[in-house]
Amino acid sequence: MTLPEASQKAIDGYLAALRRQLRDLMEEDMNDIVEEIRAHILDKTAAGADPAEVEQTLAALGAPGDLAARYCTEEMMRRAEAHRSSTQKARIAGRWTVSILAGLVVVIVSAAGYSFGGLLVIVGIAKVMWPKGTGLWETINTDGTMTLGLSGGSGNVPPANNAHDLLGWWLLPIGLILGPAIIYGTYRLGRWTARRLWPARKKFNYAASEPQTEI
Amino acid sequence: MNERQAPNPESADKWEVQLRKGSLELAILAALWGGRLYGLEILRHLESGSDLVVAEGTVYPLLTRLRTLGLVESEWVESDSGHPRKYYSLTAAGRERALEMGRTWARFAASLNNVLAPLNGLVREEKP
Repeated sequence: MTLPEASQKAIDGYLAALRRQLRDLMEEDMNDIVEEIRAHILDKTAAGADPAEVEQTLAALGAPGDLAARYCTEEMMRRAEAHRSSTQKARIAGRWTVSILAGLVVVIVSAAGYSFGGLLVIVGIAKVMWPKGTGLWETINTDGTMTLGLSGGSGNVPPANNAHDLLGWWLLPIGLILGPAIIYGTYRLGRWTARRLWPARKKFNYAASEPQTEI
Repeated sequence: MNERQAPNPESADKWEVQLRKGSLELAILAALWGGRLYGLEILRHLESGSDLVVAEGTVYPLLTRLRTLGLVESEWVESDSGHPRKYYSLTAAGRERALEMGRTWARFAASLNNVLAPLNGLVREEKP
């Protein structure tokens, strides 16, 4: 159904003004009211066919501000207030849940990163101290299966007679360079995630605080 | 029919406005007694059944208020006119309230009529 342009403009203008004046109410209530008034105007004016009739109907409803004021009763305001605080609570609870889950993931990933990096460093050092016993050992078992193990020490001898070291001296750079790199990477990743998830409330000025920390 | 524009607080006009305003809630509840109606139907019902001059800008907010009080409930119903209409119907609490208000009104009207007995002849003459 197409309305004459003048009618459409007058109705839209009136409803937009009404909506603005009802902004303190719950959105659901606001939409309900605006749609009901729209239906009333269209019903009253045979769908806005005659602009003069539309004008008369809008006048009968009163100024948008006055009409809105009659809607903003104590009950409606209380409803809006109760709704606002309940959505606020839900939002805060949601934020906490995300924060805690993300924290858990950060802890698990960090623990894995630090352990693996630390292990590589230890194995690298072990390779220097017990070069014959330390290595990435591949062992062919008697039943045909294969065991892969990273080990070091144990009397500076291979873990089994038929064990074969896959890496040899490569274990040294891998342990002593890749290990610290993984530890550092884990630290950077953890710090980056933490900053994203829990941004600082306000910037702390380290330069300005330095003289105080010196004392 | 804007009650804010009552010119003089002492005037009979203002008293009448208050009277209409006070009885509008009961009139609306009574209009819905027969079944669900949408806003404009309620307005037309009130205007055709009485000489109550009802301001449109008063009825709609009052309907919303009655709904928040749980006396009426509303539902949107599609219509042939191209837009949905919001229909109102009485809740159990609304029915109870309508009966209670109706009884109070009847009692009040009867008592006031008794008190007004001395004016009876004169008041009736005024209305053709």
